[in-house]
Amino acid sequence: MSTLRLAQNNRPSNQNRPALSIATFRQSRPGVFIGGAVLVGFLTIALLNLLLTILTSNAVYELSAIQKEKKELTTTTQILSEEVDSLSSQQNLANAASKLGMISNANPVFLRLSDQKVFGKPKAALNADGRVGRNLVPNSALVQQSNGAELIAAEDVTLTKSAIPSASVSSGAATQPTAMAAGVAKPVSVTTTLVSTGAAIPASPTH
Amino acid sequence: MAYLTPGDPKSRGKWVMAMVAILCVGFSIRLVDYQVVQAEAINKISYENRAVTRTLPALRGEILDASGAVLARTVYRYDINAAPSKVFAVSRKVNGQSVLIPVDQIANEIATILEMTQVEVLAKITGTGEYSQIKKRVDAESYRKIRSLNIPWLYYDPIPDRLYPNGAVAGNIIGYLNNEGVAVEGIETSFNSCLAGIDGQESFEKGVDGIKIPSSTVTTQAAVNGRAVHLTINADLQYFAQQVLTSEVARLRADWAVATVIEVKTGRILVAAEAPSVDPNEPGKVASDDRGSRIFRFMFEPGSTLKAITGATAIDQGKATPATQTIAPFGWVVPGTSYKVTDSHPHGDDKLTLTGVLRDSSNTGIMKIGQAVDYRTRYTYLKKFGLGQKTNAGYPGEEAGLLNNVDEWDGIKKYVSMFGQGVSVTPIQSAMMYQAIANKGVRLSPILVEGCEDSNGNLLRTEVKPGVRVISEATAKSTMDMLEKVVEQGGIGKTAAVPGYRVGGKTGTAQIASGSSGYSGRYAVSFIGAAPAENPDFVVAVTVYKPRTVSNSIGATPSFKRIMQQLLRTYRVPPSTTLSANIPTEWK
Repeated sequence: MSTLRLAQNNRPSNQNRPALSIATFRQSRPGVFIGGAVLVGFLTIALLNLLLTILTSNAVYELSAIQKEKKELTTTTQILSEEVDSLSSQQNLANAASKLGMISNANPVFLRLSDQKVFGKPKAALNADGRVGRNLVPNSALVQQSNGAELIAAEDVTLTKSAIPSASVSSGAATQPTAMAAGVAKPVSVTTTLVSTGAAIPASPTH
Repeated sequence: MAYLTPGDPKSRGKWVMAMVAILCVGFSIRLVDYQVVQAEAINKISYENRAVTRTLPALRGEILDASGAVLARTVYRYDINAAPSKVFAVSRKVNGQSVLIPVDQIANEIATILEMTQVEVLAKITGTGEYSQIKKRVDAESYRKIRSLNIPWLYYDPIPDRLYPNGAVAGNIIGYLNNEGVAVEGIETSFNSCLAGIDGQESFEKGVDGIKIPSSTVTTQAAVNGRAVHLTINADLQYFAQQVLTSEVARLRADWAVATVIEVKTGRILVAAEAPSVDPNEPGKVASDDRGSRIFRFMFEPGSTLKAITGATAIDQGKATPATQTIAPFGWVVPGTSYKVTDSHPHGDDKLTLTGVLRDSSNTGIMKIGQAVDYRTRYTYLKKFGLGQKTNAGYPGEEAGLLNNVDEWDGIKKYVSMFGQGVSVTPIQSAMMYQAIANKGVRLSPILVEGCEDSNGNLLRTEVKPGVRVISEATAKSTMDMLEKVVEQGGIGKTAAVPGYRVGGKTGTAQIASGSSGYSGRYAVSFIGAAPAENPDFVVAVTVYKPRTVSNSIGATPSFKRIMQQLLRTYRVPPSTTLSANIPTEWK
């Protein structure tokens, strides 16, 4: 475009020598046009290249930042995994159960469903005979341990939250607001249903 | 005041042109020098400054229990290092103002996080060197806290490390790595080819700010992470069994104890518990003998638990039935020798059936009935029951036990082998003998490793050899019936009974050989049994080595009972609804 405009502007000054200028103009016009187009093309490519380089450079910094963030998140994942591993280890669960006052009964009693016969002599779980009272299996990876006080508090909260919607309160729904308003702990009876599967023992509702 | 004379403009132009030309020539020479003559050397120095090659560490695969719980995983630990020559006070923004924190205070902050003393840290960061390691293998949380201090003269090396979240639960089976990260024990060793990954490598060019130059050549060989290994072990049951054994070892003042639980119909090892056990996070805390698995490596004379095999052999060969009668004296001289074998306690001539012989664990009775079968045939049966051969369950360094060639059997061994002397077994072999009886006469290969995952996470199951029929189904049933009487009526056997379930099992009180001088005064006491006897699901084998407070199987039955009870509860096996077979144990 610019090449063409230049040629047009020059035309009046060359009017004194029409024959020569016309002949030259006719011969050089396609060359200038092609040359100009090539130059514009080169400039465009160069500009695009520059633009792409800038964009790529920015992207590289962005990528680097994301990679750093990924590394941080991986570290966070590792820290959390170690905590979860530690909290869910058998040793921590045994210790936590013990802190909550739970005792493993070494004298389980079995019930045969077909004739509802009870096998074994029920004994109080406090009986120390045959019971392993504390954790005996070492675990040096136990970095995080359940806190007894927190467990009891968490259990209280869970019971309060879960008991209300799932329980069938024997005294009836009408009595609930009164009890709650008075801020008195209300007796809750949770209804659970055991479904017999015939030969197999039904799964426990608690896990 | 001086005035510039105009001079000759043409001449001045020439001078300027000449100067420009000289400069151009000078620059050209320098350009050629840099671009051609020294090009290679300069490029090399430049590349060395820019190029970075780093190893991309491959993560070792996890070891999982039967439910997918992680028993071993790889985590990163961090070595905290300093360059003492560059240690200086650090500027920090406090309430918007820049405050210079002295080195002493920084040392104190580092010491608090790393659980060291300030003096220890100062000793590490003082000096003129370029490198000093403050603490090795710090966990990720401490590493992050240290990094948040923003101390420019600290630097960190991430080191892949192995973590065993459940500590000693199945520690003797899992194994561990040494400080160089090389597997040296257990499944870590035998399945190293699956667990180990292949480190990758990355090369690229970086700028002054440490950021990768976009157009630089990057050579990346991606790291190939290791794959997960799935065990058949139930970690919760394993923990329970280890608790029981550890408590029993202390109570009995025994050297050690082991318990193996086999799923009868599959051969899967659900529990391989040992006491003392090793915490693979700190294997150095226990004696080297306690770091491996005795279940696969310890050979001992099984003693009376082998009587069930002798009885089953006689029945399978049609030479006896559970009701076959014999007179079992207290002592009996082995035919053709002057070697007298006695029972464990004095008694008269007891009129016992084969079932009664097993119930009372009579050495004389089992020899009198067992001699009806040719010793070469009995040897064949012992081999079929798996004696003298490794089980190839996947544990490294497994022992094959000792079953001498039958041609080497002398007159005494032909007889004493009937009650478990003169042959040696490993605890896993003992358990698998009873698995064969409980599995209607078919002995399976024990499976410790379910398989290894492929690169897509699919489980490639361990190749399992087909089962071997050892005795007929009818013989297996008869043997289980006899073993039930041991638990129903046996003096010690009764203590292994699980209320509500039919249990069959056999006691074993084996003398411990003491080199060339016969037997020591200590015993390896065992109890191996299966339940529910009418259709066994599990075999539990317990061995207690050298108990000091008891000298018979009463040292093993409490552990057996508690582990079996826990198994039946865990897998919700309903109580038995049938009665045991009516077999006489005595005769008149």
